[in-house]
Amino acid sequence: MNFRDWNEQQDLTQFLHHEARLLDEHRWDEWQKLFTPDGLYWVPLVHGQVDHLNHASLFCEDALLRSMRARRLEQARAYSQQPPTRTVHVLGNIALESRDDDATCTVRSTFLLLEWRKTEQRTFGGSVLHTLRRADDGWRIQTKRIDLVNCDAPHEALQVFL
Amino acid sequence: MNSVIPIIPIAATNPIDIQSLVQPDRVHKRVYTDPAIFELEMDRVFGQAWIYIGHESQVPKPGDYFTTRLGREPVVMVRHTDGQVHVMFNRCPHKGAKLVPDGSGSAGKFLRCLYHGWTFKCDGSLLSVPLRSGYECTALDLKDPQYGVRKVARVATHRGFVFASLSEDGPELKEFLGGVATSLDNFCDRAPEGEVEVAGGVQRVVQRNNWKIFFENLHDTIHAVATHESSWRAAKEEHESMPAGTPKPFEVVIVDGNGEPLEFWEKLELKGYDHGHGFMEGIFVPPTDPVSLAYVASLEAAKGAERTDEILRVNRHNTIVYPSCSPHTSFQQIRVIRPLSVDRTLVEIFSFRLKGAPEATFQRTLKYTNIVNAPSSNVMSDDLEAYNRVQEGLGSDGGDWVSMHRAAGRDQPLPGGRASNGNSEMPSRNMFAAWAGYMGVDTSTQTGSAE
Repeated sequence: MNFRDWNEQQDLTQFLHHEARLLDEHRWDEWQKLFTPDGLYWVPLVHGQVDHLNHASLFCEDALLRSMRARRLEQARAYSQQPPTRTVHVLGNIALESRDDDATCTVRSTFLLLEWRKTEQRTFGGSVLHTLRRADDGWRIQTKRIDLVNCDAPHEALQVFL
Repeated sequence: MNSVIPIIPIAATNPIDIQSLVQPDRVHKRVYTDPAIFELEMDRVFGQAWIYIGHESQVPKPGDYFTTRLGREPVVMVRHTDGQVHVMFNRCPHKGAKLVPDGSGSAGKFLRCLYHGWTFKCDGSLLSVPLRSGYECTALDLKDPQYGVRKVARVATHRGFVFASLSEDGPELKEFLGGVATSLDNFCDRAPEGEVEVAGGVQRVVQRNNWKIFFENLHDTIHAVATHESSWRAAKEEHESMPAGTPKPFEVVIVDGNGEPLEFWEKLELKGYDHGHGFMEGIFVPPTDPVSLAYVASLEAAKGAERTDEILRVNRHNTIVYPSCSPHTSFQQIRVIRPLSVDRTLVEIFSFRLKGAPEATFQRTLKYTNIVNAPSSNVMSDDLEAYNRVQEGLGSDGGDWVSMHRAAGRDQPLPGGRASNGNSEMPSRNMFAAWAGYMGVDTSTQTGSAE
């Protein structure tokens, strides 16, 4: 499905870039406010996973769990954040997946994420489905689904939001 | 010190006197850091003990298989057409190819090697080979059992949990499990239908630590308040930010419980059993959220109030089935510990469905698994950091011994084991007593550390 016009494409692209920047800059409070109150942040454990309630996930976080994670990342004694994880997101292939009505749409993008902590750099990559809902002052995230290319690999700790 | 067993020549330049490394209340750092000791453990601990392979529900139909590792060995659990579950080496007896790919699936009626098409029944016996005539009048006798898939020495099941041993000798599974068989029993008794099944996928975490450090931590109660400060504080703050009187959500309960003061842990009961096993009393008050209450009602409907009370009173946090797994009976998961190398350990987390319980009970299990033990866990990430710092510190020249003295000498004897208060290092001492036995140390002559 095509974007309606350049303005819509620009609007949604800027939203995704803004979200990625909030994550890379650890602006967790602002990031959380991008979600609708019942919004879901979800990283499936296996490819093609359709169910986040009856199947384990890598992340499956509602507002409460996102807030707990953000609070923890800011604790002085979050030992596994000594030093804090640094990330940079690179987004691409941003496309309109579907438009349900004027206020709701789904955007697909791909991403590469470089992560650095202590002595090592890790790379994550995959595709993201944002289901977005328009509010008075901009878009809100209803669901952010991140399908990692290596979702079913054995992982070391994943601490920050992808 | 007189060594009862001979010094084992791993390499001419690197003899290991295991006896000198293990004392009743302290161990030498080399047991966590020496790759040669890791290799010996694969032979002597993982080559002797009953090792958890998986649950029968992972291979529900004939031909279904599930692969894993038994120590260093790639093995496969397969259900035969007669319904029996077999555990064998995942290796074709012809050229050695792995017979089934890693993971799980269905082999159909036979196991067929991809390389030359040798075919085996699902109990491993040889069914057919191509070009049978080519073997006529050769030394290869197709009736010889060695041309079937080699089975592990012993396989046994306890309430659907499948264990295998590479050794012909040793205690029967029930005797081996001793007092922790009650944890596996309670795991199943908590299901209204009395049975459980694996469901919902498996999470895998790679840890940068020796496998024994993980096991010790399972019953190291007092690390929680220190190591997990970031997560229990975050959970408490989250609850405080809610309107006054809001009941604690399940998500908060299972995280902020780590923040109990040391007096709380002191009062818990720890039990240790022969062969290194043990369990720790439950640290969570049985939850009273609607999902948990509906679950209790389903159990009462099936078993009556009295029996339900009896079952739920067996409230356990982690159980240790040394040296391969840790069931969490009250939230229906098993963590399986697979050592990869001296400083790398894979932990696989399996979630279980209680047959006959409401679907939401299983979703609560997954929530526990996702929040407490997934790679993304806020709780476990600080454990992983602690294990890694221990591993790195032990590799240094800053000291040689690891202390396990806390509350030493104060254990209470139990049939087949011992009990201690909750903040004792009894579980670590108990596991090392078993470890020393497997590794061939004669503990009867030990007199304790020199300190």
